[in-house]
Amino acid sequence: MDFDLAPELALLQETARAFAQDRLRPHEREHERARRPGDAVLRLHRETGLAGLELPESLGGAGLGALARVLVNEELAAADPGAAVALDPLGPAVAALRAIGGEVALRGFALPLLARPEARAAVLVDTRPRLRVAEGRARGRWPWAPADRVDLLVVLERERVYVLRDGVTATPLRGAGLRAAGASELSVDGAIAAEIVSTPRARRALAHARLWAASLLVGTARAAAERSRAYALERVAFGRPIAHHQALAFLIADMAPAVEAARLATWDAALRLDAAPDDDGLGAQRADEMAACAFLEAAEAAAFVTPNGVQILGGHGFMQDHPLEKWMREAKALSLLFGGVDLAREDAGRALAAADEPLALVAPAPGPAGAGEAPR
Amino acid sequence: MNLDLDEATRARLAQARALGEREMRPLGLEADRLGRPTPADHPFFQRLVQLGLGRTRWTGEGDTEADRAAAGAAPGGASAGAARGGGAVANLLVAEELSYWDRGVAVSFPGPGLGEAPVSAMGTPEQKERFLGPFRAPDRPRWGAFAMTEPGAGSDVAGIRTLARRVAGGWVLHGDKSFAANASRADWIVVFATVDPKRGREGHRAFVVERGTPGLGDFHVEHKMGLKAYESTSFTLRDCFVPDENVLGARAGAASDTGARGAGGPGPPPGGEARAGFKGAMQSFNATRPAIAAMAVGMGRAALDESLRFAREQGLLRDARVRDRLERVRRKLHAARLLCWRAAWLADERRPNVLEASMAKAVAPAAALEAACLGMEILGEAGGRGDHLVEKLFRDAKAMDIVEGTGQIQRIVMARQLVGLPREER
Repeated sequence: MDFDLAPELALLQETARAFAQDRLRPHEREHERARRPGDAVLRLHRETGLAGLELPESLGGAGLGALARVLVNEELAAADPGAAVALDPLGPAVAALRAIGGEVALRGFALPLLARPEARAAVLVDTRPRLRVAEGRARGRWPWAPADRVDLLVVLERERVYVLRDGVTATPLRGAGLRAAGASELSVDGAIAAEIVSTPRARRALAHARLWAASLLVGTARAAAERSRAYALERVAFGRPIAHHQALAFLIADMAPAVEAARLATWDAALRLDAAPDDDGLGAQRADEMAACAFLEAAEAAAFVTPNGVQILGGHGFMQDHPLEKWMREAKALSLLFGGVDLAREDAGRALAAADEPLALVAPAPGPAGAGEAPR
Repeated sequence: MNLDLDEATRARLAQARALGEREMRPLGLEADRLGRPTPADHPFFQRLVQLGLGRTRWTGEGDTEADRAAAGAAPGGASAGAARGGGAVANLLVAEELSYWDRGVAVSFPGPGLGEAPVSAMGTPEQKERFLGPFRAPDRPRWGAFAMTEPGAGSDVAGIRTLARRVAGGWVLHGDKSFAANASRADWIVVFATVDPKRGREGHRAFVVERGTPGLGDFHVEHKMGLKAYESTSFTLRDCFVPDENVLGARAGAASDTGARGAGGPGPPPGGEARAGFKGAMQSFNATRPAIAAMAVGMGRAALDESLRFAREQGLLRDARVRDRLERVRRKLHAARLLCWRAAWLADERRPNVLEASMAKAVAPAAALEAACLGMEILGEAGGRGDHLVEKLFRDAKAMDIVEGTGQIQRIVMARQLVGLPREER
């Protein structure tokens, strides 16, 4: 057992942290107003090597796995969750494309998108389904996606993953949170460009999407916990820092394990995803299940921490001069993605119901082999 | 980063599981049914000794390993000296597994118990040989015990009232101690007493009080809500003489320590350095709190498995509400377990883990109790019968939020770390 990151991952984390704190945090309100990070930020993000983490090296990426992604996402979201979404134009579409057709699909769909600045992919989880698929076309409306334009639409159903390159019209919305990534209603009427029918592959793509969101939630919650803690040490009431009144001291104390547990659950699930092959074996099923758990844990942690962060700042927390109210909105928005918490609960609950030993004697994430590397 | 286990640890876990399934679970249920601790002369304890359990981790070869053990006191940890399979993480995992089968039985295991850490950390080589030596390869089940808590002082350990009065050649102890595990069957008890109640923790001294010492008596095995398999014993010290050679952490100057320090008296009290070292070892690289937290995880896991089994048999898993609640319990136990692992891993790495250890201890007992409470609700009226394992776990699990620092104390420790919460004036 070793909780230390491998040197290259620790460096990546440090790079992401420095970039996020120096370049995102000071401008997060500007990003929110402009509905996009600034050009300089976008450029620098690419130059620092934070883009294309999961793409294979043969396609010009870093060839890293889920663990690398969750580390970077946490750091970016701890500064500006909306920008974190915008800065990853493919997001969990990488895993979905990999599920559809491996490197070929990535070459065909991901690379052209990355070549166009501002182009964005959106990943929808459609289990009801809301979009109707017939004769090779998908049609319907989607109430919200955190993007102002959608150049590639990836849809995950229970047993199928499909992709649309055309036929998606984005109508801008105000957006509840994540406005720095944009917000729009999608009107879909387009030809399916590629698809695969496979429950394990669809489930695996969903697992990656959930971890992607979970790590953003962890970062958002962490930022709210850190900021409100710092404020509570500065703000004096009744003759002492408000942090030194037990009611708040205990609340701040409870935030720490909430964030830490969600982070560890996310790391644990990422290790499992990186180690378990994309098949339908027990290890793969367990990895996907734990990704759902991590998403839930992160959503719950953020739902606990971010409103309480606002609370600790009192009236100031409610004002848009402070970032707490924004992080509260971003956290809620993140928890709505990819089927939201209820779908995750449903998936994790069904998997649990089928398990003989839900927390068996030892069920740690498989070892370092493959950890931090892209699944083949 | 990897969260996998080495082979030695896996082997220890498999051994713990076999022992747990075969012996501990039935013994725990029996003790619960009979409402009494497993008697000290029960053949189970003899078998444990034959299996190589009930030993000290002190090797007798210098202090390094003992210091390590001082930071990690999990019951049943038998492997001494093994770098792999023997650290805080491994001990914690074994503690979780043993508690899965029965935490009460696990605490009843022979061994130096919680007394090992202070003897290891504060004892002279001679004292270690005298008190821990017999536990290196015990001929029979032997127990050590530890007594800090008093009727009027639990979390607030600075408030203990048992007095230590200096006399020629030793000390006289006078006071009452409560809830000491295995105390009536112990060869010796590490008793904390104060030379001056006004001096708080500074006035504390640790004494090894041996069985049969005149004045040590009135052993009363408490009646508990759960965890009945081990004895929680209250006892009295009535003008109980303890010789100098049984005082821990008093290598220098004990004879001159009258316990009455003049106002503004300079310098730390004699023996303070050793005690500070003990306190430091217990607090900075704490493996006990994560281990206790892991025991809670083990108990919660047992409740979850039983609830799941029952729900499946009764066809309740078709109900999304039941699945949702079980899912939450599993997730909270999983999260608590990861917090435990990380805290113990930090201890193994000799990195400060005060915050992490308290996080684990704050979170895990609540998760365990939630698991057991849900189990009762899934059982429904069958839980009201009082004869189901889940019902026992429901009673057992509550203790975990009380022992080794209540949840409230953990939050105070965390708040001190996070926001420098000031200590209350005394």
